Amino acid sequence: MPAKDIDFMDVDSDSDISLPAEETSRSKGKGKGKAVAKPKKTKGKGKANEQAYTWEASYTRSWDTVQEDAGGNLQGAVEDWMARDRRRRLLAPAGAIRRTIIRHLILLLDLSSSMMDRDMRPTRFDLTLQYAREFITEWFDQNPLGQIGVVGMRAGIGERIGEMSGNPQDILRAIADRHKLEPIGEPSLQNAIEMARSTMSHLPTHSSREILIIFGSLTTCDPGNIHDTLDDCVKNRIRISVVALAAEMKICRELCDKTGGQFGVAMNEGHFKDLMFELVPPPAQNTLSRTPGAGAVNPAADLMMMGFPTRLPDTSPPSLCVCHSELKSEGFLCPRCLAKVCDVPTDCDICGLMIVSSPHLARSYHHLFPVKPYEAVTALVDVSDSTSACHACARILPTTQSTSTAAEGISPFGRYRCPDCHNDFCTECDVFVHDVVHCCPGCGK
Amino acid sequence: MDNASHLSVIVDLSPTQWHLSSQSDNTHPLSLKDFLSQLLAFLNMHIASKHENTLAVFGAFPGKSVMLYSSTDPLQHNRTIDANSYPPFRVVDYSVMQHIMEEIDALGEPEDEVPCALVGAVTKALCYINRISHPSTSSNPADNPAVLPDPRMLILSVSPDLSTSYIPIMNSIFSAQKLKVTIDVCKIYGPDTVFLQQAAHLTGGSYIYLERRDALLQYLIMSHLPPPSIRNVLSVPTQDRIDFRAACFCHKDIIDIGFVCSVCLSIFCKPVPVCTTCRTKFPMKTLQRLNASRPPQTLTPVNGSTVANGSAIGTPRSAGTPMAASLR
Ligand SMILES: [Zn+2]
Ligand SMILES: [Zn+2]
Ligand SMILES: [Zn+2]
Ligand SMILES: [Zn+2]
Ligand SMILES: [Zn+2]
Ligand SMILES: [Zn+2]
Repeated sequence: MPAKDIDFMDVDSDSDISLPAEETSRSKGKGKGKAVAKPKKTKGKGKANEQAYTWEASYTRSWDTVQEDAGGNLQGAVEDWMARDRRRRLLAPAGAIRRTIIRHLILLLDLSSSMMDRDMRPTRFDLTLQYAREFITEWFDQNPLGQIGVVGMRAGIGERIGEMSGNPQDILRAIADRHKLEPIGEPSLQNAIEMARSTMSHLPTHSSREILIIFGSLTTCDPGNIHDTLDDCVKNRIRISVVALAAEMKICRELCDKTGGQFGVAMNEGHFKDLMFELVPPPAQNTLSRTPGAGAVNPAADLMMMGFPTRLPDTSPPSLCVCHSELKSEGFLCPRCLAKVCDVPTDCDICGLMIVSSPHLARSYHHLFPVKPYEAVTALVDVSDSTSACHACARILPTTQSTSTAAEGISPFGRYRCPDCHNDFCTECDVFVHDVVHCCPGCGK
Repeated sequence: MDNASHLSVIVDLSPTQWHLSSQSDNTHPLSLKDFLSQLLAFLNMHIASKHENTLAVFGAFPGKSVMLYSSTDPLQHNRTIDANSYPPFRVVDYSVMQHIMEEIDALGEPEDEVPCALVGAVTKALCYINRISHPSTSSNPADNPAVLPDPRMLILSVSPDLSTSYIPIMNSIFSAQKLKVTIDVCKIYGPDTVFLQQAAHLTGGSYIYLERRDALLQYLIMSHLPPPSIRNVLSVPTQDRIDFRAACFCHKDIIDIGFVCSVCLSIFCKPVPVCTTCRTKFPMKTLQRLNASRPPQTLTPVNGSTVANGSAIGTPRSAGTPMAASLR
């Protein structure tokens, strides 16, 4: 089934691309009556009527792709999804990927009157706020050293809603009151992007600068040439991603393509959320840098000295903190000068050491050391009695082949083997180990 | 205790550490035998306190981790009926003891003892909890407990921190957070472990350092038997200072001031010209600056030794200002 999907999509994109050429050939060859081109032409035309825009081709509704088997079960479909998932993991590069981990993001919200449209429930505006909250929480969970700021566009200007901050609570508070954000007027992409750009211009070079635009309009009223703004963004290495709620606009796609960001048009509520959450994991190192190849000096990279503090419990004797001079019990001690600060990550007010809690750093390590993909066991030759259960969860593994057809990368016995420790795991643990734990229970690393 | 709860117990069974713990020159010696009898009493108490309670026991042996007992797949063995014992207790006791005996008999010479596979046991427990918390996908409906509130894990630790397992332990902690598993730690013997302190802190569990080892059962009952939901009405001992130190990637030393690659966040104990993880080269200027500003004490790192003494501060204070000192 996945293979068929891909074929199908290929045909579509072909027909889309070739459409203008056929169109011209038809108009040219009208009098001449080119019979050869005709069948192809009508086919292309029909496809074009069905699918007016390219993004519609790439979007398949999940409920359409799930097919029941003869017995009315979804088992086959579920297995298929899992096979696809496994293959995706196998295709992923095995080595450590360079990712930008210290991130700075400006969330650019469209607050123009078009956001009151009810094509997404309850309104585009309410849904955007709701997803923005979830996005911010999830984003900070995965990028604990990052910072987010919020800028709104309404009434033709850019409006600073939340200052750049590393504290999710600050940002959530900034967008908590929907009455202050009531959509009005026309949006201005240029004004808002300029404002976001100026906010990020002072940032250190080793951090990423990103703008995520949630755009619900089909127009933008700009004071100048937005392409100049775009060029400035490219120069400043700002990555712009756009989630459009209405339709594709050429300038939006250009913003993303030129800066290395992602562009997507949300087809429904769920797809909107997916598009936003695709931007949560740290992006691979900016490919726009002019120094390709491993080992090259990356001007954006730097070595930072950091201290890992000791946390004092709230039962310890109260003392003054160095950041607010307040008397309190709990706090963190700077490992170098033993000054007490209220919250981490921060720079020590006394000695200037950057203080971070090490779990903050450790949250991203699974990107660096992924678990090797397990191999699907296709024949039970060297399986002894002792390995009749999953090595991790002790679930009894079947010894008979299940009825479903053996797809590539799927074990007919539901048995997956670690290439290092040669232990067998069940399907569920295979997924759980690779997606959540990031540590093989057999090897212990 | 309204709801049934699941408890996964992870027992650190390092022969060397248990031998040290039983030495009579300790203030409160505790032998493995006494420990196991108190542990079994605790396990029995857990299954007795509510009929639906589930239990799993994992053992961390040198270089190997084994599931000792689980209430979803009890061992099928021909046990003798003992009129004087309650059958469920007997199954647990028999199964746990049997497995421990087998593993200890299979151990090699004491000279080449490898560190305990604590990480393996923790990840197995997580996989097991994941399995019983998502019963819908399981093929056999018989082994599904209907609901699983409050899954929690209790780690009974005697070994010091194994700094090579820093990253896997942290990954396990984050997956425990995702599964909403509370991790309790009872440190029976040896110095405080930095990683397990962080595990208990980050998952909302309690970390208890056993001062009177002979009173183990008392500690277990008072602070680890009640599920987290009713702990807030009890006065469970809270953690004292929590040490957020990390292990460096280069020597696996536990450090409090480190040098971090801005691209991949790898931690090094001294300035390095190239990141060994992501191969990023660092600017010369930074290296010179960092080498100059480095506190002189860390110029001679203790190689190979896992720095795990109980003191909270590893690096001697060098830049303490009068103001900071007065604030302590
Ligand atoms: Zn303060
Ligand atoms: Zn300091
Ligand atoms: Zn399993
Ligand atoms: Zn393995
Ligand atoms: Zn080192
Ligand atoms: Zn690096």
